[in-house]
Formats: sequence, C-alpha cells, structure tokens
Amino acid sequence: MPKSLKTNTDVSQGVRDFLKHLLESGKVKGVLALKKMDGSGAASYAFMTSAKELAEAEPLAPLMPANAGKILSELTLKEAFGEPVAAFLRPCELRAFTELLKRLQGSRENVLLISPTCGGVFPLKFLADGSAKEKVPAYQQAARKGKNAEGLRAACRACTDFIPCQADITVAFAGGADSDSSCRLFLETPRGEEFARGAPGTFGEEKLETRELAGLREERAAQKAALFQDIGKAIQGPSALARTFSACLGCHGCSHVCPICHCLLCVFDSKMHDSQPEGFDSELERKGGTRIPAGTLFFHIGRMTHMAVSCVQCGMCSDVCPVDIPVTEVFSLVGDSLQKVLEYVPGRDVEEPVPSGTYKEDEFAQVGEQ
Amino acid sequence: MTSRETRKDKRAAVLPAREGIQKAVTGFLKKALERGCFEAVMMPVRAPETRSYAWLMVKNPELLDEAAPLPPVMSVQGGRALSSLTKHGAPPLSIGVVLRPCEARAAVELVKLKQIQLDDVHVITIDCPGALPLKDYVRGGENALDRFQALLEHWDEDGAIRPACERCHRFSLDISDEDRPLAPSSKNGAFPVEIHIGLLGENKEEILLIPLNPSGEETLEKLGLTPDRPLDGWAARVRALRKKKEEKRRAGHEEFKKEISGLDRFLAVFDACINCHNCQNVCPVCYCQQCHFDSPRQHLTAQRYLDRARRRGALRLPLDPLLFHLGRMSHMVLSCVSCGACEDACPVSIPVGKVFSLVADETQPHFQYTAGKSADEPLPLQSFLKSEFCEVETPSECREHQSPEVKSHA
Amino acid sequence: MSVRIGVYVCECGPNIPDKIDIDKVLEDIAPLNNVAAAKRFRLLCSNDGKKYLADEIRKEKLTHLVVAACSPREHEKTFMQVCVEAGLNPYLFQMVNIREQCAWMIPDKAEATRMAAKHIRAGISRVALHGPLSKKELTVNPDVLIIGGGISGIEAALSLASKTRKVAIIERSDSLGGRTGKLSRLLLHQGTDVSVLREKIEKIEKDENISVLTGCEVTDIRGFLGNFEVRIESSGEEAVSRSIVVGAVVVATGCELWDGYDPAVYGAGNIDDVVTAAEFEDMIAAGKILLKNGKPPRSVALIHCVGRKEKGYCSKVCCLYALKFAHHLRDSRAPAEVYEFYSDLCLPEKTDQEYFDGAVKKGVHFLRTENVRVEKRNGHIVVEHGDGAGKKKTLEVDMAVLAPALVPPPGSEKLARMLNIPLDETGFFKEAHAMLDPVAAPIEGVYIAGCASGPKNINESVVQAQAASGKILSTLVPGKTLEPEVKISVINEDLCTGCQTCLSVCFYGAISFQAHKGVSAVNEAICRGCGSCVGSCPSGAISSRHFTYRQLYEEIFEALR
Repeated sequence: MPKSLKTNTDVSQGVRDFLKHLLESGKVKGVLALKKMDGSGAASYAFMTSAKELAEAEPLAPLMPANAGKILSELTLKEAFGEPVAAFLRPCELRAFTELLKRLQGSRENVLLISPTCGGVFPLKFLADGSAKEKVPAYQQAARKGKNAEGLRAACRACTDFIPCQADITVAFAGGADSDSSCRLFLETPRGEEFARGAPGTFGEEKLETRELAGLREERAAQKAALFQDIGKAIQGPSALARTFSACLGCHGCSHVCPICHCLLCVFDSKMHDSQPEGFDSELERKGGTRIPAGTLFFHIGRMTHMAVSCVQCGMCSDVCPVDIPVTEVFSLVGDSLQKVLEYVPGRDVEEPVPSGTYKEDEFAQVGEQ
Repeated sequence: MTSRETRKDKRAAVLPAREGIQKAVTGFLKKALERGCFEAVMMPVRAPETRSYAWLMVKNPELLDEAAPLPPVMSVQGGRALSSLTKHGAPPLSIGVVLRPCEARAAVELVKLKQIQLDDVHVITIDCPGALPLKDYVRGGENALDRFQALLEHWDEDGAIRPACERCHRFSLDISDEDRPLAPSSKNGAFPVEIHIGLLGENKEEILLIPLNPSGEETLEKLGLTPDRPLDGWAARVRALRKKKEEKRRAGHEEFKKEISGLDRFLAVFDACINCHNCQNVCPVCYCQQCHFDSPRQHLTAQRYLDRARRRGALRLPLDPLLFHLGRMSHMVLSCVSCGACEDACPVSIPVGKVFSLVADETQPHFQYTAGKSADEPLPLQSFLKSEFCEVETPSECREHQSPEVKSHA
Repeated sequence: MSVRIGVYVCECGPNIPDKIDIDKVLEDIAPLNNVAAAKRFRLLCSNDGKKYLADEIRKEKLTHLVVAACSPREHEKTFMQVCVEAGLNPYLFQMVNIREQCAWMIPDKAEATRMAAKHIRAGISRVALHGPLSKKELTVNPDVLIIGGGISGIEAALSLASKTRKVAIIERSDSLGGRTGKLSRLLLHQGTDVSVLREKIEKIEKDENISVLTGCEVTDIRGFLGNFEVRIESSGEEAVSRSIVVGAVVVATGCELWDGYDPAVYGAGNIDDVVTAAEFEDMIAAGKILLKNGKPPRSVALIHCVGRKEKGYCSKVCCLYALKFAHHLRDSRAPAEVYEFYSDLCLPEKTDQEYFDGAVKKGVHFLRTENVRVEKRNGHIVVEHGDGAGKKKTLEVDMAVLAPALVPPPGSEKLARMLNIPLDETGFFKEAHAMLDPVAAPIEGVYIAGCASGPKNINESVVQAQAASGKILSTLVPGKTLEPEVKISVINEDLCTGCQTCLSVCFYGAISFQAHKGVSAVNEAICRGCGSCVGSCPSGAISSRHFTYRQLYEEIFEALR
C-alpha cells in the first residue's frame, strides 16, 4: 500500500505548496508544470526555478497547450538532467513520455514524475477565447464528483487511463471527493518517498481508489465505447475514411504536436513525398482526377502505421486541427485495436518494449510461416 | 497586340451568369477543357457530404459538377497547391486554374523563389469578395454558405469575412493607371495571369473575361468569345470598393499598431501560442523543406535549459515562440502577400495574419518592393544594389541613396 | 573515444606574461571537461616550442589542440603543421589570440587575465566540435587563354608559351596588333619603332605553341585556377563554336577612343578638317597630311583632354602622342603652325620633358586653357578658348585634331560578368589592388594586363603583360597540384529546395544549380569558404565545414557566459 501525504488545503494549492517545498528545500532545482500566462486563464508549460515564478504555477489547470511528455523528452533528448528536477504531467503525457523513453528520446534520470488522477482538459479553443477561467470552478466540482465536466476534449471524455502509470507521486484530483479541502499525494516509488520526506503534511496509508473514481471509470468507459462505435461507423470502408479526412489541408499540425511523432524531419515532410511531375499523368488517366496537394489520406495512414501502436489518446491532434477533423478519435480507435492484437498498453511499463521492434517466434506462425 | 493595351482601351469578353458565378465560371472552364485550351483543370471542389473544399485536378469535365471556382473558404492556399504540383518540374500536361488574387500573388513570389513552375499553367484570377473564416465555415455548415452567397451579392458585408479579407485592397487587378497596360510586362512577354474574371460589372447576370496576355486572348478565341466590352463600368466599381478597402486597411493597421505597441503588449499577442507552427506550414511563401525553427539546432541540453530557466526564474516551453515568429518574419515578410492562411490555421486564434501583414506593409516599401506584383521584380533578399553598400559603409554621406520612405522616416 | 584537449599558452616572450597572469588562466581552464593538459611555454613558434608541442601531442595522446598565443594570421599554419607532423589532423586545432585581443589592448591585468581565460574557454568549446578535414589535390592545366591580341596580349603570349604550356590568343578583329598596330610610328624619343611589333607578331605566327583565333569571341567561361572551361565562338556568318580548357586567363582587351563627346563643342564629324587622333595617325601612315580640299594645312590645333572632365580621368598617353604629332608637323618641309590646347600636361617618363622642350624649341605654341570649343565660323575653323583671366579668345586654324579620352571597348561588361570580375566606376576592369596587385583580378587565375584596366602607354602595357606572365609562370607550374580551400560550404540535398538564394550571394560563382536534381551544389574546388551562402539559406540547408552552427554557437555561448 503506497504511503500518502495529506495537507488540508485544496488540491491545487496543496500541489503548489509541495512543489514550493521541493524547490525551496533544494531537493529539486527546477519544476516543469503549467503556469498562468495572464489573467485570462491562459496557461503555458514553464520550467520554473524560482519560488516567485512557482507561485504562479497552475499544475491542474484544465488545459494542454502542448503535450508535457513531448516537452520532457525535448528537455532530456541530448543529455539527462544532471540535477534533480520535478515534472507535473497528466497521465497521458506521462505515458507518452514513457513511450518516448522506449525509443531513446529522453531520459528519466533525476526527474521526479508527479501526475494527477486526471479530470481531463478543455480544447484549445477555450484557451483562445479566454473562457477557460470561468469554466474552472464547474470543472473542479465535476472532477471531485467523478464526473466529466461540460466541454472537455472528446479524447478526455472517453479516457479510461486517467490513473497515472509509473509516476513517482500520484495526486488525487479526479475522484477525490474532498479535493476542495484536502490534497492527497500518493508516494508510489522509493524516489517518490525520498522526495516527499520532510514535506509539510501528514503521512498516512490512505487509499487512492474511491467510489467517485470508480464512478468516473464507468462513465468514461461508456463514453469510450460510444466514441469508438461512432467513429468506427464513420470510417467504415475506404470511402468513409477518405470522407472523414476530406477537409484535411495537409498542414501536418497533428503530427507536429503529437508526442509520439518525434522524427526530426517527418518522412511525409521530406522530399521523399514531394510530388513528382511524372506521377500526375498516370493518376489522371486512371481516375480522371486527382487531389492537390497529393497524398492527403496517405499521410494519415502512414502516420498511423508509424505511431498508432503507441497512441496515448492525449487529444492534441484533434485540438490543433484547423478543420476539426476527429484525428484523435480515428487514431485512438485504430491504436486501441492494434494494441489489443499485440497485447500492448502504451506507457504501462517503461521496460515493456514497443511491439514494432520485437519479434516473438509464434507471431510468424500467425503470418503463415511454420 | 491587344494584351499591351492600356486600361482605357482594353476590352473584355462577356459571359452570361444567370445561374450564378460558380456555374458560369465552371462552365467556362469545362468548355475550355473540351476545346483544348488546356488538358486539365485545377479547381476547388466540394466533395459530397464534406464540410470543406479541396483542390482537384481533373481531365474529366464531369468531375467538375461540384466545383466552386470561388469557394467560400480558402482551405489550401492556391499558391501552395500549385507549388506542391509543380515544384519539381512542370507536369506533362497543360493546366487551367482559377485563383484568388492573393493566391496568384503568392504564385508570383513562388516563381521568384523557384518553388513553382507556371510554364504550362494557365492562371485565371477572379475578383474576390473575401472568404469566410475556415473554422466558422467548418463549424457553421449551411449557414455559412448562405453568408457567402450574400457576400457575393453585396461585396462589402462587414463582419462576415476573415480579418485578412476585410483589410484586403488587392481583391482585383491593379487599375490605378488608365494609361498603362493592366498586367505588368514580363521579360519573356508573359505575365503569369492570362485572364482576369471581373465580377463587379454593372450587370449582375454577366461576368467579364479580361484577357491579359496573348495566351489569354487565344483561350477566348478558342471559345468563340470576342472581347468587345469596355471596362469603364467595372473599373469604376473596383476603384470605389478599393478606396473603401484601402481606408479600412489603413485604419485597421493604425489601430492594431496602437494595440501592440510596447513590448508587453506585443508579447501579449503571442501569449496563447502553443508553438505548433501551423502558420508556417500553411503559408504559401514558407518553402523550406525543414524550417530552421524545426531543426535539431533548436535543441538544447538539459543543463542549458536549466541554466536558462535560472536566469529568469522560469522558462516558457515549448521554447521561444516569439523567436519563431520574429525569425519567420525576417525570412519571409518581404514576400508576404497578406493572404491570411496563417490566421485560419492557428488553433488558438492568434492574429498572426494581422501582425505579418502590418509588418509587410511597413517593410516592403523600404525596398520599393510589392510582393506578388511582378515576376520580374527581383526579390529584395536576393538583389544587391551597389548604392546600398554606401548606406552601410558611409551612412552619414549617403542620404541621396536612401529610398524616399526611409528619408521620410528619418 | 574520449576527447583529450591539450591547451598550451605561449608567453610570446614578455608580451603575454607582462599583461596576463598565465598561471591563473591555467588554473581556470585545467579543471574543465575534456581538458587533458593545460601548460605554458616560453615561445611555441620557436623550433624548441614546435618540438615541445609535437612531443606533448604524442605524450598526452591529445585528440584536439588549442594554442593560446598571437594572431592566427601569424602562426596558425605553423601549428597546423606541427599537428600534421605529430599525427594529429590539423583541423582538430584551434588558435586563440590572447596577444592582440587581450594582452595588447587591455591595460588592467586582472581584466586581461579574465578575458584571456574566457577566450581560451571559448576556443576549447569550439575545438571539441571540430571534425578532421582532409585536403584535396587537383592537377592543374598549365595552358593559358589570352583575350585580346594587342600589344599586351602579344607580349604575354610570347612570355608564356613553351612546350609544356600552350597559349591561345583570341582576338575579335581580323588581325593581331590592336591599337599599337594602327600607329604610324611609336614614340621615337622612347626608343621604339613600330617594326618591333611586326617582329613580335611574326614570332607568334611561327610559334607552334601559340594558336591565334581571330574573328572570335569568348561566350562562356566557367571554372577556377587550373581548370577553366571556355567556349569560343567565331563572330561572323558561320558561328562556329568550340570549347577549350585552360588553367589561367589573361584579359588584355585594351581600350578605344571615346566618341561620345558633344559634336557641337568639338565639331568632329560635322565640320570638315576636324579629325580625331586616330584619323590623323592614319594620315601620317599614308604619308600625307592634307585638308579636305587637298591642300596641306598651314595651321593645326591639337586639342588635348577631350572628355577628361566628362569621364573623370586623364588618359595618360594623349599628351605624348600630341607632342609626336607636333614634332611631325614641325619637321615637315613646309611646317605648319602648331597650337596645343591643354588643361594639364602629362609628361611622366624620363625622356618626356626633353621631348616637350624640343617641341617648344621647334616653335610649337602651348596654350593652357579650359573650355575649348571648336566651331566653324565664316567658313573657317575657329578654336574658342578661355584666356585664363576669364575672357574668351579665338584662334583661326586650318585643321583641328582631337585627343579623346581612352575608354573600355564594347563588350567589357559582358566579359566581366562571364569572368565574375568587377568593373570599376570608369568601366575598366578592376584590379585586385590598384597599387599593390595591379595585374591580378579578384578571382584567382584571371589576370589583367594593359589598357584593359585603364589607359596606359605601350611601355606600361608591356610591363603588365610580363608581370601577369610572371605570376602565371610561378603559380601554374605544369604538373603542379593545387590544394583548393578545405573549409568550404556543403549543401544538404535533403533540405535544399533549389531556391537558388545561395547562388545569388556567391561572389565566386562556386554554386551551381543541378536542374536534374532540383538542388544547388557547391563546387568544392572554387569555393573559398566565405560563408555568405550559409547565412543566406533560410532553412540552414548549407553549412560550413569548419564553421558549423554548433561550433559557432558553443564558442559564442562560452565567450558570453
């Protein structure tokens, strides 16, 4: 049973206090978390090294301007941190980071990973129109009760992986019935315990699982089933798939914000996929017409082939799409199906290798080899 | 040669448009395809049941039934589309394409940047009332289509169109000088645009086809259309609308300048930026295979991130959105045609287009350059005037070499 | 493989230790990452010093070397050679200047010490990112192309041609000789005679190592010292085209007389018996000086400086040939009265003053004046001139001879563009350095001789032709190999979009667009490593081999820390 640390403040303040303690005691030299940008409720990830800046942190702000797993990977891509730091990231962001670690795109060394049971985030458009701030109280209430708040990202509404995997410290947010007056931190690993030593609050043996958490799990599972069913129908057959992506501009924003897409120059952005003049003649002969720019759907299917096995359903892709294509829904459905076949859960365990790089002898039998 | 005629003497062919502009122009292109003016047509087409438009290149005229030569949105910037088609050489067949003026201007810049080949491309431009914001259209469905219809009727509906379009005064040909030809002359005699479609004529049920070069004249001839209508009526209405739009642009830029003056206010514009680089990816002029700001050069070591964070107490991540915007600006703003594709693509509605078109309007005159005006006007970043060196080497002696704009600012 | 950087601080005699606390500097840098050795030595450029460095490289098994001493301009090559001898790639070396940039300019010792340490740390950061570059070798083509068959071209051809070095003279007109060939006689007082030219041309015709291509022009030149590809076309109805490869080019295109002066002021062309110097020269060659009416002139005005103000320069040779005309006119059996109108007299050679005095003795009238006008009044030629006191005077003469400015011949701009060499404001070819390098063009392998770079007399043209030949003989030795620049630019084909912005900034013409690939490529032999292209590429598709983004970034980052 993991140890717990409880303080008598609302969870946001509690987290802030804990991070402040870590920084001021010198246990960590920097903290990666969401930070207020201005009064409008906008937030951005920031790497904070001073208590003054940390006082503006809003780790539980219901926004994901960028996937923090991707950010953490970029921070540690060239070398591991030589000094201890803390990072506050959502379960999907943490799972994304884990998937990136498996691909050698970062290092966990010296990083204290703190993650909440997640109440979801609002789409970026609320960041844009400044309405995020006023939605916060209702959001927090819904999270406490183990319910989906109004207006969450579709990906979040249907997320059943909202309990962090392999975090050092878990924060009870969603499903934490009294999170408006108590902040509970669960120390999941020896590293978590070590960093929490000496922090203000009461140590105990609390339970993470609550009735509200179970309720949220149920609601989310139902939402997921419905989401997958709807999107499944919408992409049934190649013309349906084409239709779903027909508004695509080819901006590739989805891959640029996707945490799993880590290639320095995506093959679909490279010359390999530039159109060659000779290609058009045959296309026009065969079909009478061809779309310009070419390869719209091919990009998505290709990207899917490359990363769906690690898709953590964070929802950044749908959010960044200028024409509201349900990219997350499609990719997470395909990812989910693929992951089930390969018996793989992205981000579950950093030691579990990515299936595309592993070979089990019996798999060949499945493909027809004896 | 009639294409060298001055605006005063120019004549247009008349095309009846009783069933609306989209059908009339589509019909014209279909016929041109049938008569062999070109072998394929590239147009925005609304596929059944979708909410947007995509460029389609067709040989089969039947595929043009759902075409909209002037779609309510600018989904993929036409210059960018043409560039993706011709970057590595002209396709082995001739193509006719209808572009909005800003798309054609982007194409002109891309010619100079050698990212597009217009040799066998018959470019036709069209008077443009503006386009609806992409997000509005995508979320608004049929309502949005009605709004656009109204726009085509009235031409200066406030509030319906993209901010970039509201400020746009280059929605038609440059007819400022009656005694000059309509199209700027070009080294090889051909200006990229061969026909301009005038929609602002007196009669709403007619559209004007204005030939701009010998190729355009040939196309009209093949279709049995004789350019015999003078342009005065159309020119007068274009001029009147242009005056309004110029004032809107000037006033809009003045106001915006005030809003963003001072470092704090300028920074605030980019507060919500998530560094997704959508603006760069949809920009027709941004042609680099890998943007400098996407390259591994941007990666720091963990220790460096920590050091930088320590200097200020906090470091915003992803890193340096402002450096990205200003860097991109310094690379491309001299070729910015104010098309507004960037604004449509921003997921957090930052007025990128406003910032860039303001800066473009203020910087291009320093080089006596207008982006998109002529394929012969060399790019400022690639041309070197001996007189410019004295500005750098002996500035105090150099006033006579300064451009009028610089002198007036001094 | 671990990085082991050796850092050696040279005392440069008393220069550095007087102003910098070297031990403190060593203390500062010794503990840095990757620094395997940090030592000082009295004079590293001495034989002892070089031996010490070589020994240290081997002993300490250094993978990189930093020397903190004087300016790289003085000894970078020295220490690079030490590296080579010690088995270390010479490009894994960085020289840091703590003499000129610290000791010699920072008076406060503490500050100088601090800055020296900073400079060295920056150098260390940089050198760790250096890559081992290797030199290349090219065998040169020793042959030479001479553009222009006048006296300079002829002289250069004769100086250069040999069994191991073929020379091609390409001449636009139908014959060799140029302007000199049109002279009736050279300046006798300078001890020359036109027959000398005749002899030279005969020698050329006999020399099997010199080919003369008359009636031809150069239409394209690409390449570099030791390897120029030239396309030649014959002017005229049958345009025959051929290509040759040479190792050097001599531009000896000469000059011609300016004909752009205002006929209302000088009258030539519309007033009979107002002739140009060239026409007068022809008359001398024909044996008789006659007016239009067939009679010999009784009085002749020689008008100097026609075009001097308009062109902005003195054409140097006109005063002397005007004196030649004056002597000729006064030496005839019925000497005419000769009036020389000049604004300044140019008598530079040793014997010129005497020549002038001789003319004066023979009764030639010299009138110093500005604003000469030659007009026809009442059927006579009248020279109107200022009298020096603000008033105008007139002189009636039978004939007037104009000495116009010397200007570049047509086609100079085109040739300059082809060769990628500049013209100066006067339109003549611009030398690498007017005073200190007068026969070299800024592009290696291209030389300029004679009037191509500005008005000259025959003596100077011959000297220049010989000088250019001398340079070619010593650089373009047959069988010699050239080492092109190593620190050149490289284009990443995966990132290049073929926008050719880099081409527009390359002064050396080292970048070409490969149409079949749609990318630009750097010619490694011509590239001088200036880095302009690197800066011009917006996406960073071009990098410099020895000045990579990372190298510069780390050096600057460390220096600014």
